[in-house]
Amino acid sequence: MGITREESDTTSTIRLEGTVDISSAAELKTLLLEALDSGKAVRVSLEAATYLDVTAIELLWAAEREAIKRGVGFTLAEPAPEGVSAALLDAGFDRFPVPEYSRRGGKG
Amino acid sequence: MSMASNADQFKQSFREEAREILVDLEAALLELNENVSDGELVGRVFRGLHTIKGSGSMFGFEELAAFTHNLETAFDEIRNGRLEINSELIDLTLAALDQIRAMLEEGVGEATPADADACASILAKVRQLTGVAGIQPAGGQTAREPASPTAAGPAREWSIRFAPGPDLMLNGTNPLLLLRELRQLGGLSVKASMAAVPPLAELDPERCYVAWEMVLATAVERDAIRDVFIFVEDHCELSIEPATPPTSNSAANRADATAMVLDDPRSQSGGRRTYDKPDNASSLRVPAAKLDQFVDLVGELVTVQARLSELAARRDDPEIAEVSEEIERLTSSLRENSMNIRMLPIRATFETFRRLVHDLARDLGKDVELTIEGAETELDKTVIDQLSDPLMHLIRNSMDHGIEPRTLRAARGKRPTATIHLSARHSGASVLIGVSDDGGGIDAEAVRSRAVEKGLVAADAALTEAEIFGLLFQPGFSTAKQVTDVSGRGVGMDVVRQRVDSLRGTIDVASTPGTGTSVTLRLPLTLAIIDGLLVSVGEACFVLPLANTLECIELTSRDIERANGKHVANVRGVVVPYIRLRDHFNIRTPRPEIEQIMLVETEGGRYGFVVDRVLGDCQTVIKSLGRFYRHVQVVSGATILGNGTVALILDPERLAADAVRLGRQGLPRGHPAGRTVAGPCGKYKSSTVNAV
Repeated sequence: MGITREESDTTSTIRLEGTVDISSAAELKTLLLEALDSGKAVRVSLEAATYLDVTAIELLWAAEREAIKRGVGFTLAEPAPEGVSAALLDAGFDRFPVPEYSRRGGKG
Repeated sequence: MSMASNADQFKQSFREEAREILVDLEAALLELNENVSDGELVGRVFRGLHTIKGSGSMFGFEELAAFTHNLETAFDEIRNGRLEINSELIDLTLAALDQIRAMLEEGVGEATPADADACASILAKVRQLTGVAGIQPAGGQTAREPASPTAAGPAREWSIRFAPGPDLMLNGTNPLLLLRELRQLGGLSVKASMAAVPPLAELDPERCYVAWEMVLATAVERDAIRDVFIFVEDHCELSIEPATPPTSNSAANRADATAMVLDDPRSQSGGRRTYDKPDNASSLRVPAAKLDQFVDLVGELVTVQARLSELAARRDDPEIAEVSEEIERLTSSLRENSMNIRMLPIRATFETFRRLVHDLARDLGKDVELTIEGAETELDKTVIDQLSDPLMHLIRNSMDHGIEPRTLRAARGKRPTATIHLSARHSGASVLIGVSDDGGGIDAEAVRSRAVEKGLVAADAALTEAEIFGLLFQPGFSTAKQVTDVSGRGVGMDVVRQRVDSLRGTIDVASTPGTGTSVTLRLPLTLAIIDGLLVSVGEACFVLPLANTLECIELTSRDIERANGKHVANVRGVVVPYIRLRDHFNIRTPRPEIEQIMLVETEGGRYGFVVDRVLGDCQTVIKSLGRFYRHVQVVSGATILGNGTVALILDPERLAADAVRLGRQGLPRGHPAGRTVAGPCGKYKSSTVNAV
């Protein structure tokens, strides 16, 4: 498990790995805020994630709203592994990741 | 509070809840054994197992959860009519409960760990019996469990709203697992509401802001749904209501609704849903030690208050007197309240014996049913805690020696199924706990000759039947099995007596040969503080429990003359025998002209205790006399009075019995064997005599 941030010229990428839950929630929040503050488009990669708990989900959700407010692109890149998507669906987060925002974020 | 200690606290809370569920499960299984077709009971067992599994997994008891899952699967099959319940499966499940209990207590104190081999063998047998192939470890993190078919009965839709409170995540709860558990009850549609999620910068990353609105189509009842939330109920807002829209429309509505995340401004955090909890959710779980400490403090307060009252009486200052009276009133209410908090119904203790009776009946090859009466009777927790052992011994004795083998019962024309009856009821300041059976009864003559043989009584001693039965409780009376089943009721009986003695209780045995035996334990309701009446004889003070005291009448020299030297008083035409405490305790001070007779109600009838003066009522904090005086039967403890002196608390029952016995033995009243009381408020010297 782990969360990393990589910077390119135009994009700040946050990569989620393994189980992302309450134990790493504070770290995720810091990284998301830093990424947003960088002013670049934010890209969150879920490819290597195996489990997201509710704290991770609400952080991503709030980050996305924040990005919209600031006019910064926000993308949930790469389809999440099936286990993660299924768990998200089970928990009632059907519109997450959010396609239209992803598209809008893609412009940045 | 740190997360770790929070987690420990919630683990502990799960343990406590799970222990209660295990007791209920045991009772349900045993009832099920009697009535295998009762679907309601099967449902109860399933729900209990399900709750233990779900919550166990949530609180990190993975092994326990996996093991329980297998049993749950078996009971799900039974519930769905795919499997017949039988007594073998019930016995296996009972054995499994023992293992679950061991897993639960692992790492706590000196608990015996669960036996992995036994667990494996139980599961193998369950698998063999049920033929359920799917029985295997549950595994905590399976992604998506299919909606399982639900219990027989019409499915209905429930609208569930669940909003975790601020601290729900911190105690280790994962709300997503709760949703997964709900899904096992039936078809579930879920909408997550993000309305309460604050802007990222203000968001507390360790808190769950998401709330869920769900519709569950299931045949289970509201309680079963609520069980899913049993461990988080105090940390969330929860409502479970029947869904109002008709089933046909709601499916379509739901399809629309689930397509979007709720972002309804009306459900902002300020407008959170109201709590919807069962009645008992307003109760509080408090460690017993804290409660004991509280009661001790109240005891100290009562003692100090007595000093204040004493002081106020001496000062003759109306202002101080007023404050003192007010404090006395408050202390009295506080005392009553604190005592009430410690009162628990005896039900849980009684229910645990169903299992004992079931197991013993099987081992002994006897058919025995346990009936329970007065389970709602409340007793002080400290008394209840110490009652299990003596009751267990009494029940074992009844099962082993009282109840006849099947053939003998048949020969005697008795019902093939024997009965053991447990009962509890209040009687004044005491509670009567009865263990009776419809077995062979006790042969008094056999007991007597056994006692003579053992050298416990003289061969020519004149003993009443009650005294003979009392011999059964003497240490060393019998080590049981070598003697016949008629006379050998001595196993562990001295243990019973010791324990009952330490509770300041008495044992009464009644038996009719061929018909049955009934043992009644009379125990004080509380061991801490009682209402008493303070009396004095010479310079010594005594306390009589107010609950036994009826009235107070005068005894003059003329009354004594009229009775021709007999120790009886005429109370409105009724002759009542009295006991002179001055003589009984050998207090050598001159008798006042007018004495007082305290009329007291005892099991053996009405008696009078003659004292010099009645000083008034007092709240009495009972202090033990310690081991050195443990053989002193007529005194149930001591208390410290407001002026710092010590008063002995008398046990009217035993005092009366003692006096009657001494009278019968013809001992001079003024000089009962070995008794002296010296100094004010007496140092009581132990007599060698023990009333049983």
